[in-house]
Amino acid sequence: MQTVLAPDFASPTLRQRMKSMLGVDFYRLFHTPMFYIFLAIAALIPAMVSSMGMMAEPGGTAAALFTNAWNIVAADTPLYVVHDIGEYANMNMVFIFGGIMVSIFIGHDYRSGYVKQLFTTHSHKSDYMLSKSLVCAFAMACMCGTYLLGGIAGGLFSGMAFHARVFPLLFAILGKVVMSLGWASLYTFLNVILRRQFGVSITSSFVLGTGIPIIGAAALVGNSPLLNVFLYGSSVNACLSSTIVTLLTCTLVSVVWAVIYNALGTLILARSDVY
Amino acid sequence: MNAIEITGLKKSFHGLYVLDGLNMTVPLGAIYGFIGENGSGKSTTEKLICGHLVPSAGHIQLFGKSYKDAGIRARVGALIENAGCFPNATIYQNLMMQAINLNLPRPHEDIHRVLKIVRMEDGAGLKFKKCSLGMKQRIGIAMALLGDPALLILDEPINGLDTDGMRIMREILTDITQSHGCTVLISSHILGELEKIATHYGIIRQGKMVQELTATEMEGRCRTFTTLKTGDIQRAKLDLQKLFPDVREEGGELRVYDVNDTEAIVRHLLDNGHTIQLLQKNRIGLEEYYIELMSRKEGA
Repeated sequence: MQTVLAPDFASPTLRQRMKSMLGVDFYRLFHTPMFYIFLAIAALIPAMVSSMGMMAEPGGTAAALFTNAWNIVAADTPLYVVHDIGEYANMNMVFIFGGIMVSIFIGHDYRSGYVKQLFTTHSHKSDYMLSKSLVCAFAMACMCGTYLLGGIAGGLFSGMAFHARVFPLLFAILGKVVMSLGWASLYTFLNVILRRQFGVSITSSFVLGTGIPIIGAAALVGNSPLLNVFLYGSSVNACLSSTIVTLLTCTLVSVVWAVIYNALGTLILARSDVY
Repeated sequence: MNAIEITGLKKSFHGLYVLDGLNMTVPLGAIYGFIGENGSGKSTTEKLICGHLVPSAGHIQLFGKSYKDAGIRARVGALIENAGCFPNATIYQNLMMQAINLNLPRPHEDIHRVLKIVRMEDGAGLKFKKCSLGMKQRIGIAMALLGDPALLILDEPINGLDTDGMRIMREILTDITQSHGCTVLISSHILGELEKIATHYGIIRQGKMVQELTATEMEGRCRTFTTLKTGDIQRAKLDLQKLFPDVREEGGELRVYDVNDTEAIVRHLLDNGHTIQLLQKNRIGLEEYYIELMSRKEGA
């Protein structure tokens, strides 16, 4: 055997590691048809829900879910207790589709074995959590965008009125967009702890995305602003009567939950086997 | 400095120890053949080195530093169990993701370089799920070779390869160790192939290292023997034992061990009136050595 010189090892900085990790995840996101399918779903659902008003005939059994086209984006006031589907059908539905998308996105990492490639090299477990949360938050934010376009198209198609004050509407939309980070972190965390059970992870993402636990809690405590500390609560709080405080609350709640879920996910990944 | 230094490594799954105090030393630039029966702990060791599993106890050092060091990990390539590729992505896309992951400055050029090494430069656009088993193994090697690895960990890389594939793999491994100074840890059950490239061996059994030795030491321990068949085996055996110390009867044949002068054997048999029906010179290779070592340990 010939004499071999010891190789040089330059430790990548956090910035370099995150750049590479985010690079991989964005590359994958943009090269997978799933992302575009979910964008289309996010656009189609509000368009279809809004267009349902067209089918409602005067004196018939079917009724339009709402008369104001912007209600497909958010309710007029924070409605934690929902009485009909119209109160429920708004941009929060993106977080349900988003949950399923994140489950598939992360599930493929494990099922294909690609996660081994990532952890064999310089990626830290915290890099993985953060990158997945950010990329999936971006995907959900894009879905919010296509949802908005679908909702507007549906509203125009069904001839609904567009009644809203500009800033509250803007704060409501932005509030829901910033909530994507918190939701994406929750789903990333869920899928990391349930990485060996793909079916369970996708089901739990769906259940939590529907906000059923918070809706259940609201049935007991009523329309309490205390529910805003939860992701679903803050997402509901971003409504057509939003102010800058609403947007700041959404940002704070989203970031705090993102930090908590990222820290917990990192801890679990660091202390358990990849498989 | 050693490329890999493992001391007292333990790993248990549900209370059952798969590795039980493993010690292992892989010198810099070596092609280390990691041998052991199924379930002996080879793959578990490799997964621990790669950081896929969390050890129950013990230490792993790579190039004199902790195996968790990001700088070292950036230069570790691995093929463990499967290539770790997305089935619906093309070969090029899978390699591109790994190139981005490794922060390679010229990913396109590097991808074409490794595809050329594994003789798959024409298949870049093929979806991974459409590839044959042998092709998938080669893509796995290409993934591991991206980013100029200082340490390559390969778990059964020869599995599923045809004769030509095995030859290519041999050439690749020999080339990267000689030209890039890369250290290779390779586990395989195909000992005949391993023997052609390995510079060091480690034999593991029930989670413990049984023996570590260099290829030269292995060569020294591998004995030569002459196989022969005569008309009267029993009489020939008695006659040969008068002159040669180790003569054994095995499967209707005689084996004369550690005698290089075959002519002397023939002359002695003819002088004693024997007729020779078969004469063959053999060598105990890695496979026979391994089987013998394992049976010795079983008996112990």
